[in-house]
Amino acid sequence: MRDTQIFNLTEALARADQDVELFQTMAELFLEHGPKDMAEIKTALDASDAAAAGRSAHRLKGAVLQFCAPAVLVAAMRMEEAGKAGDVAAAADLCGKLEAELSCLLDALRQVMEKGLAA
Amino acid sequence: MERHGTSSVDCNDFSRSTGQTSGSDKTEAQQTALIVDDEPVSRAGMAARLKRLGYRVLQAGDGKAGLELLRRERPDLTILDWMMPELDGPSVCELVRRDPEVFSSQIILMTGHDQPEQIAEGLARGADDFLSKAASPQEITARVQAGMRAAGLIRRLKHATDEIRLKQEAIERELQSAARYVVSLLPPPGQLLPGLEMASAYRPSSALGGDLFNVLRWHEHSLGMYLLDASGHGVSPALRSASFSTFLREDNLLHRVGSSDPGAILTEANRQFPLTENGSYFTIVFVRLDIRTHTLFYATAGHNGLMLHRRSGEICYLAQPSLPLGFDGGNVYHTVETQLSPGDRLYLMSDGLYEVPSPTGELWGQARLETSMREAAAKPLADALAHAIGAAEQWLGHQKFPDDVAVMGIELAG
Repeated sequence: MRDTQIFNLTEALARADQDVELFQTMAELFLEHGPKDMAEIKTALDASDAAAAGRSAHRLKGAVLQFCAPAVLVAAMRMEEAGKAGDVAAAADLCGKLEAELSCLLDALRQVMEKGLAA
Repeated sequence: MERHGTSSVDCNDFSRSTGQTSGSDKTEAQQTALIVDDEPVSRAGMAARLKRLGYRVLQAGDGKAGLELLRRERPDLTILDWMMPELDGPSVCELVRRDPEVFSSQIILMTGHDQPEQIAEGLARGADDFLSKAASPQEITARVQAGMRAAGLIRRLKHATDEIRLKQEAIERELQSAARYVVSLLPPPGQLLPGLEMASAYRPSSALGGDLFNVLRWHEHSLGMYLLDASGHGVSPALRSASFSTFLREDNLLHRVGSSDPGAILTEANRQFPLTENGSYFTIVFVRLDIRTHTLFYATAGHNGLMLHRRSGEICYLAQPSLPLGFDGGNVYHTVETQLSPGDRLYLMSDGLYEVPSPTGELWGQARLETSMREAAAKPLADALAHAIGAAEQWLGHQKFPDDVAVMGIELAG
């Protein structure tokens, strides 16, 4: 096992009580639902619905917390705050950053899953 | 897996055993936790942790499904996400607290925010505790176990309350049964002998009363009657009265006393029923009526409730000052004799009737009782009694007498 720069695998496993199988299950769930949350954020911003973008960012943030991925977490928090504030412009500015950071996390998780946690 | 807008219920996820110490009390049934969160990754992590702690775990993906599951499954603890579409966590809390079936459920509200004002709002809207989504595994475990302990205590308290209620109901049934027995000891109203009518009223203050009255038939022309009042109310006085009534049976009196003389009977009763260790005693009025001569023989022991209402309208209380039974074992009770006339009415009664208090505490009193009896003098005996009871109730302000009320009246045909 090793920590990546995108997320802290050691801390993430600790949050999962060192349960490798649980971590894999949570990662699979995130690989499925994380992109959906991101898509909802973009759809909401296209509709200038900052509040909806904030709610989706809030849910995304809750999932990201489980993987100890600080860059995505910060980007999700900022998106949530902009959404709560009703600031569509600020949220739109943050969208690219969040999408990029999320993409990195998803890639990192895929790599860990492909290599296997027991390695 | 479900997204927001839908719901999921799953109690079998992550069910493998890890061999870790359980947080639940293994001496009791497995406790149940419900996790309500629209975010599936956190929900899966929490579900696995709670399973590992030994709890049965239910899951719901939104507030509405969570509320339904909470009402149906009555989990010991619900972990509720704050922000969910349609029905958020605090709204679920409020609905639970308004539902008498589940209002005592333990709820932990969970959110990514943990500002003091948000914690205060969550608690104010019905949460029992608050948990940050960023909380460490140790903190989550500690708060869940604390919530489960509280749920266990509430459940045990409810169980104990239910047991007490069932026992109380059983006692009430026993008391009602005993009350029916006591009533069965009372003589039925009607014609005791040709030319002699009897009516009565019996209103115990609780399920069981300590007052008792009866008619003894010694000869075809001689009747005995008594009304006794055991001090106190409830089971113990009722049992003592029932025991005393056994002593006052015709055959027993002839065997023990050898006489139908009221004074002799009370003198012997005074020896047989001394003051109890906790100070309980009887008062009693005992009369014998010779129906041929209309002669009344009577004796009283600490009992003032013997009223003669003559056909002429005159009312007099016949009782002489005397000690209740049991106060002085050597006391001798004397028989007094008086003459009745056709149309006269004689009432044996407990003090619970004329000592009934008004809402301000003023007693109804013998003078008002006399007035009531005079008002109903032209009515049949039973109606006169009902009139007096009704007047006493009116004075009291309701129908629940604070003391036992017993009255037995006889009327010589005019």
